[in-house]
Amino acid sequence: MTSESTLFSNRWLPVLLVAPFMLLIILFFYVPIFQAFYWSFFLEQPFGGGSMFVGLDNFARVLSDREFWQAGGRTLVFMVTASSLAVLIPLILAVAADRKIRLSLPARNVLVWPKGVAGASIGVVFAFVFNPFVGILAPLNKAFPGIWAPGIDGTDAFITLIAAHVWSGIPFNFVILLAGLQSIPRTMQQAAAMDGAGPWRRIFDVQLPLIMPQLFLTLVLEFTESVTSAFALIDTITHGGPGGATTLLVYKIYKDGFSGYDLSGAATQTAILMVFVILLTAAQFAFLGRRINYER
Amino acid sequence: MKISILAAAAAVMAGACSAQAANIEFWYGNTGPVETAIKAQCDAFNAAQTQHKVTCVGQGSYEVSMQKAIAAYRAKNHPVLIQFFDAGTLDLMLSNAVVPVQEILPDVKWNSYIAGARAYYETSGGKLFAQPYNASTLLFYTNRTELEKAGVTQTPTTWEEVIDAARKLKAAGHACPFVTDGDTWRVLEQFSARHGLPIASRHNGYDGLDAEYVFNTTFVAKHLQNLVDWRKEGLVRLNADTKAGNYTAAFNAGECAMMEGSSGSYAASTKAFDGKYQITVNMAPMYKGYERHNTLVGGASIYVMKGHDQAEVDGAKAFLDFLRKPEQQMAFTAATGYVPVTNDVLEAINKSGDAKAAKYATAAIGIESMNQPPTADSRGIRLGFYVQFREIFMEETQKAYAGQQTMQVSLDNAKKRGDELLRRFEQTYKGVKLP
Repeated sequence: MTSESTLFSNRWLPVLLVAPFMLLIILFFYVPIFQAFYWSFFLEQPFGGGSMFVGLDNFARVLSDREFWQAGGRTLVFMVTASSLAVLIPLILAVAADRKIRLSLPARNVLVWPKGVAGASIGVVFAFVFNPFVGILAPLNKAFPGIWAPGIDGTDAFITLIAAHVWSGIPFNFVILLAGLQSIPRTMQQAAAMDGAGPWRRIFDVQLPLIMPQLFLTLVLEFTESVTSAFALIDTITHGGPGGATTLLVYKIYKDGFSGYDLSGAATQTAILMVFVILLTAAQFAFLGRRINYER
Repeated sequence: MKISILAAAAAVMAGACSAQAANIEFWYGNTGPVETAIKAQCDAFNAAQTQHKVTCVGQGSYEVSMQKAIAAYRAKNHPVLIQFFDAGTLDLMLSNAVVPVQEILPDVKWNSYIAGARAYYETSGGKLFAQPYNASTLLFYTNRTELEKAGVTQTPTTWEEVIDAARKLKAAGHACPFVTDGDTWRVLEQFSARHGLPIASRHNGYDGLDAEYVFNTTFVAKHLQNLVDWRKEGLVRLNADTKAGNYTAAFNAGECAMMEGSSGSYAASTKAFDGKYQITVNMAPMYKGYERHNTLVGGASIYVMKGHDQAEVDGAKAFLDFLRKPEQQMAFTAATGYVPVTNDVLEAINKSGDAKAAKYATAAIGIESMNQPPTADSRGIRLGFYVQFREIFMEETQKAYAGQQTMQVSLDNAKKRGDELLRRFEQTYKGVKLP
């Protein structure tokens, strides 16, 4: 904070430098968000031409809609399971890669690659990988016909979605957690080892407490991101089906707004979803963030 | 994007040179062989005359095309012509964004359109709102080679015969006798229309915005329960049960022996079958004891959007006139399997001496199917937010196929959710009269 004045001699220069980016954010984030909140109080005709102020009618309609709550419930289940796994698995990989075991160097490299793949492409690939006839589970289906049917069985489709999400989340979380682990002074580990702590004890009593800031960061990002980033996967793998089993809130909003022309309903759900994500993040900071010790 | 900017720039320049000539845009949603045929028509139009130039822009699907049209219309950047599919008819009629074609082209002999096609797209005053373009209807396809192998020599015409044939196929070791995707258009709309059953009250919404869904109380419920039972018996497969993952692909690959499908998929099927299997195509099966009524005209039609200058409207009119020409419609039918829906084109086909040719096979059967005696409930569907209802119906019935709930519960839920859509539509267009 104190270095700002020494870096910029003109106090307007930093503002100018940030301005183009702020303009983009305002144009493509704040304006649409404002529009969504505005529309949530109106009943909007798709082609324009007529909109009617309805007060809180849209909220009443959405909140009394069973489908909304079901999609919300599915979003919660997805958020908790997919996000936890998307942090837990990279954590295990990072702890392993941090130890000087065989192949840990190439693994550090290879595990980052999926970061370069777009969500939609991951979706297409996983649709093939989990295809009941030609995918990796096809032999299982041969042995027990119908046991794996993501096109019919909602649970199977949900599992496919979680697997794809976790896989796509590995690189980023892996890099962050590994960086955290590597920044732990080796002397601490050595001291712990000298005191007789085995590898497991060192993980739980030395490494994990010391990478709490990184764990917290990945958890917060995962939780908030899982609410929205599942869209590309749903749109390419399941299209919300079968029987709506993978219609998370973000996909329902898209469907309602763009194929149902229910602009008001979609705007209302967007507003609700956004308030939820903000509250969730605030809660995480309030209850978890405070306990984290950033000093080493 | 670039194309539209270019076209817009060209339109401005052209407008400066001559008040008459126009560069117009036409948005469509089809892909594959149909898109090829559409592009060929656009090129033919541009080559046939020099006054107007049409730029045809493929949007990838009907729905995407519509989404973009809504955004473009709000930004006053919309095309003159847009193709949209059957389910959006009422949404567009009340949108206040389109002009009825019969209003801007009053001199065309619109009566040459067959009654079924007119009924779907006309106002209560008998004016056509949109020009039917790629019209299709539901037909019944069989793989004759596979059927004969199983000892079925007569192509089934009733559901009872279809299931008999399916049982024989199954007994002969066939893994997939009949395939469908359970799509709303196939299993609800076309089934209800040809069996003379209403989908919603007020004659499927033709008499007012206060209609309510009633399909959960009609014979459709029994048919859909049959589909569930037949699937359990191994006679019927859905998209997800097939290796191909899609019912037409499964039929075309020979994996499945019978399907109910759009006439628009005929071209792809014959191409895939070429040299391997023999195909039959007939009117969709009926249940015994039900009198056959017309099937609905599906596919899509072209709307003229408001807010364009006279030169552009003239260009649009010229293009619509061009598309209506018998030779254009015949070429389009031959290339795609879509059905020509004007009587003069049917006459032209009969006169051409090619009437029995495979490329016109769907034209005769499709027209015959759409020309069956109509009822007040087989005119069409005039229900609001119907595109979304189709998805709700699919979602709920999928739960029944998966065994999560009974078909009756699914249909009751779909009716309830559908009625909510209708009420919201009614409220959105409060005070608006059906045209």
